[in-house]
Amino acid sequence: MTQVIKTHNLCRHFGEGDTLVKALNDANLTIEKGEFTAIIGPSGSGKSTLLQLIGGLDTPTSGDVILDGKNISQTNGSALSDFRRDHIGFIFQSYNLIPVLSAKENIEYIMLLQGVSAEERQKRVDEIMHAVGLEGLGDRRPAQLSGGQQQRVAVARAMVSQPSIILADEPTANLDSHTGADLLDMMKALNETQNMTFVFSTHDPKIMERARRIVTLVDGCIVKDERKD
Amino acid sequence: MATPRLITTLAKRSIFRNTRRTLLTILLISCSLIAILFTDAFTRGLLETMIKLSTQTFMGEAQIHQKGFREANDVDIYIKRPYNIYNTLSQLEEVTAFSPRTISGAMISSSENVSAVAIYGIEATKESQVSKLKSTIIHGEYLSGGETEILIGSELADLLEVDLGDRLVVTVSQAHGGDLSQSLYRVSGIFSFNERAMDTGVAFVNLAQGQTMLNIAGVHEIALRLKSVDHADDTALPLWSQLNTENLETLNWRQLTPQLDAMLSMSGYSTMVVAIIMYILVALGLINTMFMSIYERHTEFGILLAIGTKPKQLFYQIVMEGFFIGSISVFLGVVLGRIIGAIGSKVGIDYSEMEVNGVSLNEPIYLIVDNLTMAHLSLSILLITVISCVYPAFHAAKLTPSMAMRKTL
Repeated sequence: MTQVIKTHNLCRHFGEGDTLVKALNDANLTIEKGEFTAIIGPSGSGKSTLLQLIGGLDTPTSGDVILDGKNISQTNGSALSDFRRDHIGFIFQSYNLIPVLSAKENIEYIMLLQGVSAEERQKRVDEIMHAVGLEGLGDRRPAQLSGGQQQRVAVARAMVSQPSIILADEPTANLDSHTGADLLDMMKALNETQNMTFVFSTHDPKIMERARRIVTLVDGCIVKDERKD
Repeated sequence: MATPRLITTLAKRSIFRNTRRTLLTILLISCSLIAILFTDAFTRGLLETMIKLSTQTFMGEAQIHQKGFREANDVDIYIKRPYNIYNTLSQLEEVTAFSPRTISGAMISSSENVSAVAIYGIEATKESQVSKLKSTIIHGEYLSGGETEILIGSELADLLEVDLGDRLVVTVSQAHGGDLSQSLYRVSGIFSFNERAMDTGVAFVNLAQGQTMLNIAGVHEIALRLKSVDHADDTALPLWSQLNTENLETLNWRQLTPQLDAMLSMSGYSTMVVAIIMYILVALGLINTMFMSIYERHTEFGILLAIGTKPKQLFYQIVMEGFFIGSISVFLGVVLGRIIGAIGSKVGIDYSEMEVNGVSLNEPIYLIVDNLTMAHLSLSILLITVISCVYPAFHAAKLTPSMAMRKTL
């Protein structure tokens, strides 16, 4: 299998001296294409920090993050923006859609940045909206959608540009259990049909149930890495 | 939607997220623009009124004197052959009328009082084509050529305690030797220019009497009415070359009233000072608004950066928001400024009790909106709004996604 994520001795420290906080310590993790991985651990264990570093949203204190064969720890500025745009899809806990854009515009936002043609964008938007069950809601603004619908838009936005990795931070935390389960089933189905790599940071047992691999973090260190198969 | 269109759409829609704040900002910018436009229109109106009052009331747009007269104010220095000049003036297209005058200091006495005045000898018909003297008569009649006619100002009449028909004795020092000459007149008319210097210190007699009193055949001054006040500045006109000779000095109103000219030159500064103050207000107001807006949207900017928006695209979005706010404000400011300008140009602003630089503002000041200046000022405000957004935009572009999205990922 192809490695899509590889971290090597990844460290992220905040502050210095007496106020030094070691949020992540020598994290070594390899994730292969098509995996459905949950990173779990108590609050403050470093889950979000690890996801931020993998997503290129933060710079490690030391160590490397290699995504799709590229060491993003040594990349910054526009090149890193382009890399995130083309290789990583993000799903956030609070949906974080752009409130002034409609559902359809939110979904096609990344494709617009990529310069995808209007025809191709329309085709992909239609397909993904069908896949996530948002048909007929394309013109609605986020405020006109329920939480579950907003998170579906967020999933669609993350997936429509066909990134190799999708990073999801507590994607079900703000949803009721039924809606959360539906959404996870949908993501699981997309993972299986499209072979996309999903990495979750979560406390949600529903995600842990569905994940094929669970990585446990405690105090910034990976203490357990279990595969279900 | 290509990327520039995407940025434009985001910017356009973002400015009305907090409608009240955006409207207040637009109002601030619009009002600032209106204030600048009003200052400019008012200054233009004030100056035009002052020039008009100054030239049309009595002075004329230009005057001809014998060289040295203005400096010495000596009755001996006069234009000896004015008829040659009259012929020249009649042939000049730009000169619509002219009025020859004798000028002398005089003592004017009634049975009750005495006062020092400047006494002008004028040709009644010609003077009425150059100055407003005829229309300022409030009692009695304008000059008709009678030997004993004299016009005095209303305040001088009060001082001398005279009324129509009362006798006045005018004593002058004649040319060619300085002999004193006394003449008897009867008050034929009382004028009011609503200007203290004129109403207390000037009297008018017929030109022939003026010449006889002073024992001269010529005149001291020829006041000119030009087709347009702009002709006074057109040095290429034959008027200036033909009537500025070895002995003659022809000056336009700027040269005759250098204090008014200086005020005119300084007038641009008043608009500039108001503009600078307003620009600073606009800049600070907008920077404040944009920073408030940016702080509220930190998370969103973090998301935008996280999903692949480049920092420079975020920068352009913020600048574009400023551009839209500025454009709406300028549009509103120009529309309201035009309306105020249109009303002000019809109704006028009454400053009748004021005297500026020796000119009594006894006519309303009408606003004059200059389209080119309006365009310049509007573009300047727009530019200021865009420039003011650079700092907040730079701040937004420097955000790191992880810091901006502290609440999530």
